[in-house]
Amino acid sequence: MSAPNVAPSADIPRDPLTVIKLLLAWSIVGVPLAWGVWQVFQKSLALFR
Amino acid sequence: MSVLSFLDREHSVAKPGYSRWLVPPAALAIHLSIGQAYAFSVFKIPMTTLLGITAPAPVDWKQGTIAHLFQVAIAFLGISAAVFGAWLDRVGPRRAMFTSALCFSGGFIVAALGVALHQFWIVVLGYGVLGGVGLGLGYISPVSTLIKWFPDRPGMATGLAIMGFGGGAMIASPLSVALMAHFKSPMSMGVAQTFLALGVIYFLFMMFGVFTVRVPAPGWAPAGYQPKASANALITSANVEVNTAIKTPQFWLLWIMLCVNVTAGIGIIEQASPMIQEMFSGRVMAAAAAGFVGLLSLLNMIGRFFWSSTSDVIGRKATYATFFTLGPLCYFLIPITGAIGSVPLFVLCCGIILTMYGGGFATIPAFLRDLFGTMQVGAIHGRLLTAWSVAGIVGPMLVNTIRQSQIDHGVPKAQAYGATMHIMAVLLLVGLVCDFLVRPVATKYHFAVGSARDAAGVPSGAAT
Repeated sequence: MSAPNVAPSADIPRDPLTVIKLLLAWSIVGVPLAWGVWQVFQKSLALFR
Repeated sequence: MSVLSFLDREHSVAKPGYSRWLVPPAALAIHLSIGQAYAFSVFKIPMTTLLGITAPAPVDWKQGTIAHLFQVAIAFLGISAAVFGAWLDRVGPRRAMFTSALCFSGGFIVAALGVALHQFWIVVLGYGVLGGVGLGLGYISPVSTLIKWFPDRPGMATGLAIMGFGGGAMIASPLSVALMAHFKSPMSMGVAQTFLALGVIYFLFMMFGVFTVRVPAPGWAPAGYQPKASANALITSANVEVNTAIKTPQFWLLWIMLCVNVTAGIGIIEQASPMIQEMFSGRVMAAAAAGFVGLLSLLNMIGRFFWSSTSDVIGRKATYATFFTLGPLCYFLIPITGAIGSVPLFVLCCGIILTMYGGGFATIPAFLRDLFGTMQVGAIHGRLLTAWSVAGIVGPMLVNTIRQSQIDHGVPKAQAYGATMHIMAVLLLVGLVCDFLVRPVATKYHFAVGSARDAAGVPSGAAT
C-alpha cells in the first residue's frame, strides 16, 4: 500500500470556488429536504393540539 | 472515446483540491430521490379511481392490488442490491448512480404509460421491477464511496446518505400531492402526468449526484488521519471478498440483527395510525394520528444520522446492544402506556423505537466495513440488504396475523397490540444475542493480495 496522500482534500477548503461549490451542493439537497421536513413537522403538530 | 466514458471509475477520481464534503450531497441526491418509495401510499387512493374519477369504477384497480407495487419494488431493491453489488464495486459509483437514475426515472415513465393505458402489468414492470432495480443500485452505490472518503467517520458519512432515504418521502409526499392537484382534470386524476413529471424531476436531481460524486485517489487519506492501531478488535485493516464474506458467521449474525431490527420497526410503522387511535380511543382522532405518523417519519430520519454518528464514538457493537436492550424495554412499555392512558409516554416509546429502526439501517454499512474492510463493502452491503426484503414481507405478515388472531379470540381491539409488542421485544432480544456473538472475522477469510483471485482481478477498490 502506498503512503497516505494528504494533498487532494482537506476538511476546510481554502479557495473561494470550492466554498461556492460546497454551498451550492448542500443547498441543492438541503433546501428540498428542509421543505419536506417543514411540511411533515407542520402536520405532526396536530398530535399536540 | 465513448460518450459515456465520463462514467468510468478512472474518470471520476478526485483531482487535488476536491473537497470530500461534496460527496455527501451527491449521495443525498440519490437517496432523497429513491426515498420516494416510502411515499408511494399517496397514490393508493387516486389510483383506485383512474377510470371512475369521482368514485371507483368496477374495472378500477383495488387498493390491495396497488399495495403490491411497493412490495415488488422493495423485493427488487433487495435482489438488485445483492446481484449487482459486486458489479457496482467494480465500475465505481458514478456509473452505478447513472444506471440507478435511468432505472428509477425510467420506471416512473413506464409506469406513467401503464396508468395512461390502464394496464397494471405495465405499472408493475415500470415502478416495481425497473424502479426497484433503481432503488437497489441507488441505495448501495454511494455507501462504499463515502466509507472510503471518511475513514475517520464512516458511521456519520453513511448515516448522512441513508438519512436521505428516510427524508425522501417527506419531499415526495407533498410534492406528489401538489403535482396530482395541478394535473387533475374532470377527465383525469393526474396520476400519469405526475409519474411523468416525477420521472423527469428525479432524473435531473440524481444526475446532480452523478456529476458531483468522485472516488478518492489511490492511497488518499484525510489530512492528518492516522489509522488507529486497533483499540477495537472488531475493526480490521484487512479485506474480505464478498463471496467469502457470506460464508462467515459474522455476515449471518449481522443479517439476523438487521432483519429483526427492521421487523420490529415495521411492527410500529405498519400499525401506527390505527394503534394510537384504538389504544387512546376518543382522545386521539384521525388528524392527530396522521400527525403521529409524520412525527415517526421525522424520527426515523433523525435516528439514521444520530445513531450512525454515535456509533463512530461508542462502536457499532455497543450501538446495536443499545437498540436491542432499549428496544425491548420500549416494546414492553407500550401496552402499559395504553393501560395507564399516557399518550406522551406512548409517543416517546414509539419515537425511540423509530430512531433505532432508522439507526439500524444507517449503522450497518460501517459495521460491515469494520468487520470486512472497504474492498467490497458495497457488494457485501448489497447481499445483506436481502434481510430487509425478508423483513419487509415477514414483518407486516407477522404483525397482522398476530393481531387478527388476538381479535378472533375475543381480545378487545385496544388490547390486541400487546402480544405483537411482546413478540417484537423477544425478536430484539434474539438480535442482542447475535450482537454479543459477533467476533472479529477469522484471518483465514481475509483476502490475500497476490492470490489466485487477485490475479483474476476480483478486487476493484482495493487501492483505496
